[in-house]
This record gives sequence, C-alpha cells and structure tokens, in this order.
Amino acid sequence: MNSIRKKRIYNICLVILFSISGVGLILYSLNSNLDYFFTPTELKNKTIPVDKRIKVGGMVLKGSVERISSKVSFTITDYENSVNVEYDGIVPDLFKEESGVVVLGYLKNQMVFAEEVLAKHDENYMPPSLKIVNDN
Amino acid sequence: MIIEISHFLSIMATGLFFLVGYFALFTPATNSAYLSNLISRTYSHGFLFLICSFLIYIWLAITDNFSVEYIANHSNTALPTFYKISSIWSAHEGSMFLWIVFLSLWGFIFNLSVKNEEILKAKSIGIISLVIVGFLVFLLATSNPFSTILPIPPMNGADINPVLQDPALAIHPPTLYLGYVGFVIPFACAISFLLEGKSSIKWEALARKWSVAAWVFLTIGITLGSWWAYYELGWGGYWFWDPVENVALMPWLAATAFVHSLSVSIKSSQLRVWTILLSILVFSLSLFGAFIVRSGIIDSVHSFANDPERGLYLLVFIGLIIFISISLFVLRISSIKSKLTIKKFSKQSFISINNIIFGTLIFSVILGVTYPLIYEYLYDQKISIGAPFYNAIFIPIVLLASFFLFFSVDSKWSRNTSLSFLKTPIYLSLMLSIISTIFVMIFFNTKNIPILLSVFAGLLIIFRYIYEIINHFIYKKFINPFSVIAHVSLGLLIVSISFNSLLSTERAMNIYINQYEEYKDLKILFQDIGVEEKSNYDSIKAKFLVEDLKGNKFNLNPEKRKYFTRGQITTETAIYVTPLRDIYMTIGDQLDDGSWIVNIQINYLIRWIWISAILMGLAGIMLIFSKRYRA
Repeated sequence: MNSIRKKRIYNICLVILFSISGVGLILYSLNSNLDYFFTPTELKNKTIPVDKRIKVGGMVLKGSVERISSKVSFTITDYENSVNVEYDGIVPDLFKEESGVVVLGYLKNQMVFAEEVLAKHDENYMPPSLKIVNDN
Repeated sequence: MIIEISHFLSIMATGLFFLVGYFALFTPATNSAYLSNLISRTYSHGFLFLICSFLIYIWLAITDNFSVEYIANHSNTALPTFYKISSIWSAHEGSMFLWIVFLSLWGFIFNLSVKNEEILKAKSIGIISLVIVGFLVFLLATSNPFSTILPIPPMNGADINPVLQDPALAIHPPTLYLGYVGFVIPFACAISFLLEGKSSIKWEALARKWSVAAWVFLTIGITLGSWWAYYELGWGGYWFWDPVENVALMPWLAATAFVHSLSVSIKSSQLRVWTILLSILVFSLSLFGAFIVRSGIIDSVHSFANDPERGLYLLVFIGLIIFISISLFVLRISSIKSKLTIKKFSKQSFISINNIIFGTLIFSVILGVTYPLIYEYLYDQKISIGAPFYNAIFIPIVLLASFFLFFSVDSKWSRNTSLSFLKTPIYLSLMLSIISTIFVMIFFNTKNIPILLSVFAGLLIIFRYIYEIINHFIYKKFINPFSVIAHVSLGLLIVSISFNSLLSTERAMNIYINQYEEYKDLKILFQDIGVEEKSNYDSIKAKFLVEDLKGNKFNLNPEKRKYFTRGQITTETAIYVTPLRDIYMTIGDQLDDGSWIVNIQINYLIRWIWISAILMGLAGIMLIFSKRYRA
C-alpha cells in the first residue's frame, strides 16, 4: 500500500468516526430532551414519572375553567376521559372553553401542573389527532 | 367575468411556462440564437400573463368581490385597503399564489438581466419554468384561489384574522417568500450546468448575485417574523423553535453555508462539487418548508388548516425535483473538475470548516423537525422536541464556529497561515474578551458557564474585527467591508442573545386598580381600566404608570381586543423601549375578586438581536451593489 492511499484511508476513517460520534451525540441529546404527547385517554393507562415533562392535548371542558388568584385550573377532555390542569400565569388569547389546547408540564396525583399553555392562532386549526376524536 | 379572466390568464401562463420548459430542455440545439431568443420571449409573456392575473386578483380583493370564495373568507369591507391586499396572503390559497408569482418574478428579472448569449441561460429559464408549472398545477388543481360562490355571493366577508392585521405581518410573508423562492436561480443554474456537462462553464459566477439577494430576503423575512411574534402575539420572546421557524431556519443555514462555499468555488475552483450539492440542498429545504407548512403533518402555530391531498401532491412533486437533481448530480459528478487540495489554514480551509459546522446544524434541525414523525410512526407515541434540544446542540456548535471565525480573520486565500497566539491582534482581542467576560461574571454575579462562554465568543469576534477596522483606517490595510459588517453583526447577535437570556425576567402578578407594586427596579401603579368601542372591535385598555430607577416616568397601556366578526380575542402588548431593555406588559383576565392578572417582562438587548440580524442583511445588500459584483 502506498503512502497516499494509506493517508486517504486514514482520513476516511477519521471522517466516519467523527460523523458517527456527531450523530450519536445529536441522537443522545434528542432523546434526553423530548416531550411525550398524550391525550387524556392515553394518560389514563400509563404511569409517568413525576419528574418527566409531558405534553397533554385535548379540548377545554365546558364550565371547568376556574380562577383562584393568579392561578387558573381547568379540565382537558377528549370526550372519553379527562384530566385536571393547574397553571400559574396568563392563558393565551385563544384559550377558551370547548376549544383546543395543549399544555406542557408534570403529572402529579393525576393532575397536570402546567408550565406552559398553548392555544393555536388559527382558530379553525385543530391538532390532527383531536380532529378524529371530534368527528366521531 | 373578471374573475374568469384572472383565472384564465393564470391557466394560459401555465401553458406558456410549460412550452418554455419543453423548448429549453427537450429540444436539441438549445444554444442556437433563434431558440434562446424564443425561450426568453416566451418566458416574459408567461410572466406577463401571471402577473396580470395576480394584479386582477389584487383588484378583486380591493373592490371586495365576495363572489371569490377565498376573498369572501379572508377579507371584509371594513378593512383598510392595505389589509385587503395583505389578506391575500393570510391563508393557504392566496399565499401559494403569491409564492408562485414571486418564483416567476425572480425568473423574469434573471431573464431580463442575463444576456441571451450566456450559455446556461436558456436551460436555467427552462428549469425555472418547469418548477413554476409544477406549482401552478398544484395551485389550480388542489387549492384554487379563483373558485367562486355563485349565484349569490355573501354581503360581507368573514374578515382577516385580527392578529394578522399588522404592518409587520403584511410585509413579513412576502419578504420571506422572496427569500425562499429566490434560491430557484442558483438551483436552476447548477442543474443546467450539470445538464450541459462542461466543467469549464462558470455557473457559480452567474449564480452569485442571485444567491446573496435571496439570502438577504430570507434573513430580513425571518427577522420581521421574529419581531412580529414578539409584540403582536404577546409571547415576549424572539425565537420559539416552533417547527415552522425551524423550517425557515434550515434553508437559511444552508444558504449561509452555500454563499460561503460559492465564494471559494469562484475564487479558486475548489469545493465545486460540494457547492452544487449545497445549491440543490438550499432549494430542496425551501420546498420542504412549503410542504411542512401546507400539508399539516406537523402541529404548529403556523399551520394552515390542512388537507391531505395537498400534502401528497407537494410531497410527490418535491420528491421528484430532489430525485431528478440528485440523480443528475451523481451521473455528472465525475465530469466536474474541482481542485482537490486545500492548504492548511488558508481561507478555503476555514470556509470548509464553516460548511461542516453549518451542515451539522442543518442536520440536527432536520432531525428535530422530523424525529417526532418518525418516532410516532415507529412507537405509536406522540412526542415533541423543544428548546432544550436545540440549545444543547446550537450553543456548543456556535461557540466552536466563533473560535474558527476568530482565527480565520488572519487567513489568506490559497496560502498557509501560521496559527500563532503570539500575534498582536489575536492575543490583544483574547485578553480584552477575557477581561470583559470576567467583568460580566463579577458585575452580574453569575456562574452560568454556557452564557459566559457565549459572551466571550461574541466579544472575541467583535474585538478581532475592531482591530482590523482600526488597522484599516490607520495603516490602510485591506479589509472586506461586507465580511466585516456581517461577521461583527454575528458577534453582536451572539452577545445580545447571551445577555438577553442572562438578564431577562418576567412575572405574572395579580393587581387591583390603584394598587401599587414593585418589580425589580420598577414602581408600577395600576391607574385605571376601561372599555372602549371601536369600529370593528371592543377594547379593554388598562393604564399603568411606571417609574424606573432613574426616575423616568412612563405610561404602559396594555390592551385586550374582542373583534366583532370572528369573536376573536387578541392581546395588544404595551412596550416601553429603551436602547438596552424593553419593559413589556400584557394584560390577562379579571378574577372574581375584581383584580387583574398582568404579566410584566424586562427584556434586555432584545432590540439588538434584530438590529444585528438586519445589519447582516445590510451587508448582503451592499455586497450585491458593490463593484466586485458588477462584473
């Protein structure tokens, strides 16, 4: 094997090594930073660690919104099951009863303590998974 | 009748563009003067038809012609003319129409400004035309903006979404679209170069000006969107890693890498193969963006109400474009002559590193956007990926990039440079940055390592270039002003983002009328709140008197509006802007005890984030009009 070839193979190995470790690191950081998304029904059959951040999506149940001081509590439903949510802060403009919502937070004693409440800014828009629920 | 004329004109345009594509790509002897003349003229006519169709459509919107279903659904007689026009791009059909018009506009300007003798022109025009045809067929077949409500049109339209009634939003989508579709020019040049198959042709020089122009539009478009989301949506930040933001970020990253490697290809015929691949990547990512937004496969605040048929068409069409260009690339790659060796620590070597870094960033964003889809398909579990992932990737990589940039300032084209820490500019800026960073650490009493490192990296770039600028004015040393402005802006951007995340704070509080609150150095008095009735909405407007540490007194009047036509509620933020920080206030709901929830944020250096992005764009604009690009 001549030296140019040797060098080339060495370079290629180096590139492959770096790419694999790069992709590995990205995938690792991906897996440690993702949030699982559940509907209330899916949540019912699962045990989730208290320190695992999750997303819960569904419709805001009619008549469930209550405000105590700066806290707001409401119930997310998919018209089969539902789950209670508590949130400290200002809910977005499009947050209203019987309208789609996604919350990001932690599950403790069958109650979601939300860090973030999201509503969609296209009022006709609905997450595809909920659309199916609604059509039935 | 006038609707049908507009509709008919765009169908005619589709036909003409198809002819251009056919003549340019599927007939022999494209390079004959007669044929290239014919192609150029036919293209211009196609464009004329399409632009007339679009102008008529604007006219229909201005004159409230609610027989057009799309206009009836998205406009209203009460709107000012400006918003009647911008309502055209407030939803899927109209914005797609605008997107295509811009696509053909780039081709038209290219057609006018490049001489017919240019060997790649006819084929490039042909490729642009075929892309236009694909999208026009998509528009007319699956999302027709011309469909009508007959025989009885509604009396009034349904109104534009109120959060979209805003000057920034009226210009943000067009600017962004001009950026996205502008990359069709370098793409078409690269593909026609591959078709031609002659390594001696310099397609890079032909594509250069257009690539930078598209990059400028993309940069400014993204900045406008970020600014709009900040003050109009009441989110109070500048970037949210929303899938649609990512979808704009990917082509931007690819385009930035592309304009860098393009300069290497032009300067010294190196990285040519890679540059071609990048030109395909940039345009594919722009199209991928259109697919993500318009197919509804990803949950995002930006998603248009969706339709699977549209998604499928776009997926097939975009897949076809990518497949054809990549196959062509693979077939012709061996005929492209590119100089292989790159000298260590030359300018070229640093640009290669820049490209690897940008490639990694693009790859991780692509993964972040598509991973949820793959994951759901494999494990039947919905997931989402948010800011923590992107921070974990972007912070270290951008830091790395900054250090390479710092050393690259010294490097020369095609020549070895010795990397020595003993050079005056290097150790001087290193020392200054270290001292400033330590000062920041002590003054703000922080041990946040990622932020301190970012401040250090940003300052390193800024100081290094300031040294160059001083050197230029005293010793007349040559500098490239465009590179200096763009890179100093990058340094400024990094520093602003770091300080913003280090210092900004927010608090939601519960406050009664006439109550007095303190937050940080601010004294806040809730003076009054009242309901006002406006022409198309009711408004709840609060009055706050705020006093800062220096004794400046100012009013903040956050507002909530309820629009009549849609019953939609919007937040109008109140912002007090100073050079260093924004005092940002939004009002929430009233509680049963009569108090109000108010959110107050103090955002440091947030204006500088946008200013540095705009400065970057400005450097690009100057470059396009500079002497070196006039050739």
